Amino acid sequence: MIKNYFKIALRNLFKNKGYTLINVGGLSLGMAIVLLIGLWVHDELTFNKNHDNYDNISQVMMWRTRNGKKAIRYAMPYPLGDELREKYGEDFKHVVMSSFHGDNILSFKDKNLSLRSSFMESGALSMFSLDMIYGNWDGLNNPNSIVLSETVSKAFFGTENPLGKTMKVNNELNVLITGVYRDIADNATLKGLDFIVPWELYSMLYPWVKAAKDNNLWGNNSYQLYVQIADGSTMASVNGRIKDVIYNNVSEYGRKSQPELVLHPMKNWHLRSNWKNGVNAGGFIQYVWLFGTIGLFVLLLACINFMNLSTAQSEKRAKEVGIRKTVGSSKYQLINQFLSESFLVVLVAFTVAIIMVFIVIPWFNQLADKQIVFPFKSVTFWVVSIAFVLFTSILAGSYPALYLSSFRPVKVLKGTFKTGKSTTSFRKALVVVQFTVSVILVIGTIVVEKQVDYSKNRPIGYNMNSLIMIEKTTNNFDNKYNVIRNELINSGAVVEMAESSSPLTDVWSTNSGFEWKGKSPDFITNIATVCTSHDYGKTVGWNLIEGRDFSRTFATDSTAFILNETAVKYMGLKDPVGKTIRWNNEEHQVIGVVKDILAVSPFEPVLQTVYMINYPNTNWIELKLNPERSITSSLSAVETILSKHVPNVPFDYQFVDNTFAEKFEAVERIRKLSTIFAIFAIFISCLGLFGLASFIAEQRTKEIGIRKVVGASVFNLWKLLSKDFVKLAVLAIIVATPLAYYGVTKWLNNYTYQTEVSWWIFLIAGIGAIGITLLTVSFQAIKAAVTNPIKSLRTE
Amino acid sequence: MILQLKNIFKWVNSGGNRVFLLNDIDFTVNEGEFISIMGPSGSGKTTLLNVIGMLDGFNEGEYTFLDESVHDLKEKHRARLYKEYIGFVFQAYHLIDELTVYENIETPLLYKKHSSSERKAMVADMLDRFNIVGKKDLFPSQLSGGQQQLVGIARALVSSPKLILADEPTGNLNSAQGEEIMQLFKKLNDEGVTIIQVTHSEKNAAYGSRTIHLKDGLIVNN
Ligand SMILES: Nc1ncnc2c1ncn2[C@@H]1O[C@H](COP(=O)(O)OP(=O)(O)OP(=O)(O)O)[C@@H](O)[C@H]1O
Ligand SMILES: [Mg+2]
Repeated sequence: MIKNYFKIALRNLFKNKGYTLINVGGLSLGMAIVLLIGLWVHDELTFNKNHDNYDNISQVMMWRTRNGKKAIRYAMPYPLGDELREKYGEDFKHVVMSSFHGDNILSFKDKNLSLRSSFMESGALSMFSLDMIYGNWDGLNNPNSIVLSETVSKAFFGTENPLGKTMKVNNELNVLITGVYRDIADNATLKGLDFIVPWELYSMLYPWVKAAKDNNLWGNNSYQLYVQIADGSTMASVNGRIKDVIYNNVSEYGRKSQPELVLHPMKNWHLRSNWKNGVNAGGFIQYVWLFGTIGLFVLLLACINFMNLSTAQSEKRAKEVGIRKTVGSSKYQLINQFLSESFLVVLVAFTVAIIMVFIVIPWFNQLADKQIVFPFKSVTFWVVSIAFVLFTSILAGSYPALYLSSFRPVKVLKGTFKTGKSTTSFRKALVVVQFTVSVILVIGTIVVEKQVDYSKNRPIGYNMNSLIMIEKTTNNFDNKYNVIRNELINSGAVVEMAESSSPLTDVWSTNSGFEWKGKSPDFITNIATVCTSHDYGKTVGWNLIEGRDFSRTFATDSTAFILNETAVKYMGLKDPVGKTIRWNNEEHQVIGVVKDILAVSPFEPVLQTVYMINYPNTNWIELKLNPERSITSSLSAVETILSKHVPNVPFDYQFVDNTFAEKFEAVERIRKLSTIFAIFAIFISCLGLFGLASFIAEQRTKEIGIRKVVGASVFNLWKLLSKDFVKLAVLAIIVATPLAYYGVTKWLNNYTYQTEVSWWIFLIAGIGAIGITLLTVSFQAIKAAVTNPIKSLRTE
Repeated sequence: MILQLKNIFKWVNSGGNRVFLLNDIDFTVNEGEFISIMGPSGSGKTTLLNVIGMLDGFNEGEYTFLDESVHDLKEKHRARLYKEYIGFVFQAYHLIDELTVYENIETPLLYKKHSSSERKAMVADMLDRFNIVGKKDLFPSQLSGGQQQLVGIARALVSSPKLILADEPTGNLNSAQGEEIMQLFKKLNDEGVTIIQVTHSEKNAAYGSRTIHLKDGLIVNN
C-alpha cells in the first residue's frame, strides 16, 4: 500500500516538475535555515556546559545603590574570598578568588609570548573541571606553579611533556609547570584562557594587590570571585546567607551605597548578563528567542507554500480521490496516503537541506563567530531530525490531506468539481500570513540596520586615526616614559605619545568621595577616573571646549582635573574652570572641560569622567603614528625602540579604531544574520506566490481567452490577475505594521541611545512588499495574458 | 432482497422551477438479478445508478440497502461496502491517470487484505481474461477508449464484488468485445453476482433478467 502511495506521489511530483521544484526547493531552504538556527541555538544554550559543575558554579557579584539607582558590579574586594571560606565554609565546595583575565607575558628561554591569563586560587582547576593532559587538579597548590593550555604548551614545547620545566611570568617570576589542560571549549566564558597561575603570585607581582591583601582592604573592589556551592545547597539559600557580607565589613562610608552580594549562576553568564534595577534583565537570550522564532516562522512559510500548492493542485487530484473512494478506500486511508506523500516530499527536502547546511556551515560559522561542527555522529541530532521531519510533514500535509480526502466522489467524477470559495479564502489567508511575516522581518532588519548606523555615527570625542594602544603588562616600563617618548618622536615614526590608566576604549576605574561647593550632602558620587600623562590630550586629539589642557609649565597641574561635559552636568557646575573639587583629602582645581570621549558602550551614555595627571598609575601607552609615513615602517620603528628599552616584552599593539569597532561586532552579527534570514523568508514567500499565481493563471486560462477575444488588452488582463494579490499584500502590511512597531520598540529599549522608528521604514517595507508581489505575479499574469486565446479555448 | 428504493425523488432548482431528475422511483433488486436500465440520453439513468451506488443523494423517499437505511449510513460503512460488496463500471471509465493499467486494476485489492502474491495472481487473471496483458505497463492516456473501458471493467471485477453497477459498460467497445463482456456478465450472474447495467442496446439488455425503462426521471414500464 505504502509502495502504491509513494509510486503515485513520485509520478505526481515528476509530472508537475515546476511545482515540485518550488515545493521541495522552498521547503529545503526553509529546513536548512531551521537547521542552521537550531544548531546555533543549541550552541548558545550549551554555552559553558563543558564544565561538569555547570549547575553549581556561580560568580559573586554586588549590587550598589547610589542616588536611588541600583548598579551591578563584578569586582570584589580582596578579603571576601577568605571571609566566605571561613564563615560560610559549609555553603561552598570551592571559593576561588581570581584576577580579571588579561594579557601577561610568558617566557621560556628567549621566547616571549603575551598571553591571555588569570591568577586564580587553587580550587579553580577542579571547580572548572579542566581536562588535564599532564598533571592533575592540584596543579595550583604550590604558589610558584603554572598550568598551561594545550595550545600554549605546544607553542613552547611542541609535543613534549613540559611538566617540571621552569618558565617566567612578566619577566619577573619563575614558575614551575605543573599541568597542561585541553583548550577550553569555544562556547565557554573561559574560552582562550592560555594559562593560569596561582593567586598568591598576584600580590607578589603587583604592589597594589599586596596593599589590598596586607591591609585587608574591603573598600577596594578589583577582583573576581567564583564559587561552587556545596552539593545539596541551593543558590537561593546560599545567596540569602551571604547577601550582607560586604555591608557588614565595609566602612561607614562604604555602607552608604548599600552593597549587597548576589550570585550569578554559570548558566546565566552568557545568556543573561544584563542587570537592571536590582534584577537580572536577560541579555543575549533574547536573540536566542528571536532567532528561534524566526526559524519557526521560516519553516511556517515553507510549509504554507506546501499547503497552498497542494490544495491548488487538488482539482487535479480530485478524480483520483473519487475513484479510490468508489473502490473502497476509507477517508482515513486517503488521509494516510496524502500524509505519506507530504512525508516523502519533506524527507527529500530534508536531505537536500542537510546537504545545503553541510556546505554553508563554514561560512555560517564565520558569520556567526561560532565553531559549530555538523553533528553527524550525534544520535540526539538524528532523533531530533526525525521528529522534525515528522512534525514538518504533519504541519505541511495535514490540511491538504484533510481537504483532499473529504471530496465527494459523485461531484468529482461528474466533473462538476471546482475548488470552493472557502479553500480559496484559506489559501489567501495563508498568503497574508506569509506576507505579514516577511514584512515584519523587513521592518525589523531596517531598524537593526538603522540602530547600528546611528550608534556608529555618534561623536567619539577624539581622533582615532593612526592611533595605537599598547598595554604595559610588566613593570619593565616603569620610569621610562620620557626616554621612550623622546626617542619615538625623534625617530619620526610617532607624532605624540601618552600614557593612561584606562584604554581609550574602556573605563577601568570609577571612584566615589568627590566633594564640591554646591553638592548636596546626600548625593553619592561615582565618577570615572582616568590617570594620564601630560601629553594625553594632544595624542588622542580630544576637544577642549573650555579652559586649557594639562601643561608641564604649571607645576600645580599635578593635582589639576579636566572634566568631560557629562561630568560638568553631573556635578551641576556653572563655569567649571577654576572651581575646586575635594577628593581623597586633596584640593583639585578644574582647569579644562573636554567633549565627551566615547569609551565604553556606543549604545550607552558616556560616563562622567575626570582626567588627572598620575604617571605611576598608568597601564596603557597611546601612540599617534606619523600619518606621513607608512604604518608598517612606523610600527617596526616603534618595535625596535621598545625592544631596546623593555626587552623580552612582545610588541603587542592594537589599533584603537579596530578595538572600537569590536564593540559593534555582536550587533553587527545580529544585523547580518537577521538580514540573511529576512531575505530567505521573502524569497520563500515569493516562491510560493509564484507557484500560486501560475496556478491561478492556469485555472483562469479559459476566462482570459474569452476576455481577450472580446477585446481585453494585455494591460487589462495584467491588472485583473494582479489585483487580488496586491490586495493581499496591502492587508498583510496593515497587519504587520503594528506588530513590527511593537517588536522593534521593545528591542530598541535595550539601548539608551536609540534610533528613531521613522514612518518611512514602514513605507519602504510596504512599497517593497507590493513591488515584489507585482514582480512575482506579473510574470505569470503577462504570460497568461499574451497566450493565443484560440489555444486556451481549445482546451475545453 | 439486496436493495429497495421507495418513492425516491431527486430534483434540482433551476430558475425558481423544480426540475426532477428522479421522479417517484419505486424499485427493488433481489439477489442474483441481472437488471438492465434503458432510456434516452438525459433520462436519468446515470443519476439513478449513482443513487443506487450511494454516490449521490436524493431529496425524498426511502432507500434500504441490505436492510439498512442508506440515509443513516456512515461514510466508514459505505467505504466498507464499496470495498467488499460493490464494483463500479463508469460510463467515463475513470481510471487513475498516474497509474498503469496493472496498477489501476490492482488498486481495489490494496484496500483489502490480500498478500502481494495473491494480488499478482488476481490481476494477472484479469489481464488475461480481458486480453490486455500486453498493455499492462501503459498509462490510461496511452490507451484507446475501448481499452480504457476494458480496464475499468477489469478493475470492477477484480475484487469479485457481489453487486456490479455498470454504466454503459460496452459503450466504447466493438460488437465482438461487447458480446464478450456480456457473456462474462452472464456467467458471473449465473454464479450469483447481482448486476445492474445501464445500456442503450436492446441486444445487451436482453442478457438481463429484467429491463427498466426511464424517461425524464420516471420509470415508464416495469
Ligand atoms: N447536478 C445536476 N444539476 C442539474 N442537472 C443535472 C445534474 N446532474 C444531472 N442533471 C441532469 O439530469 C439529467 C439526467 O442526467 P443523467 O446523467 O442521469 O442522464 P443519462 O440518462 O445517464 O444520459 P446519457 O445516456 O447521456 O448518459 C440530465 O438532463 C442532466 O442534465
Ligand atoms: Mg449516463
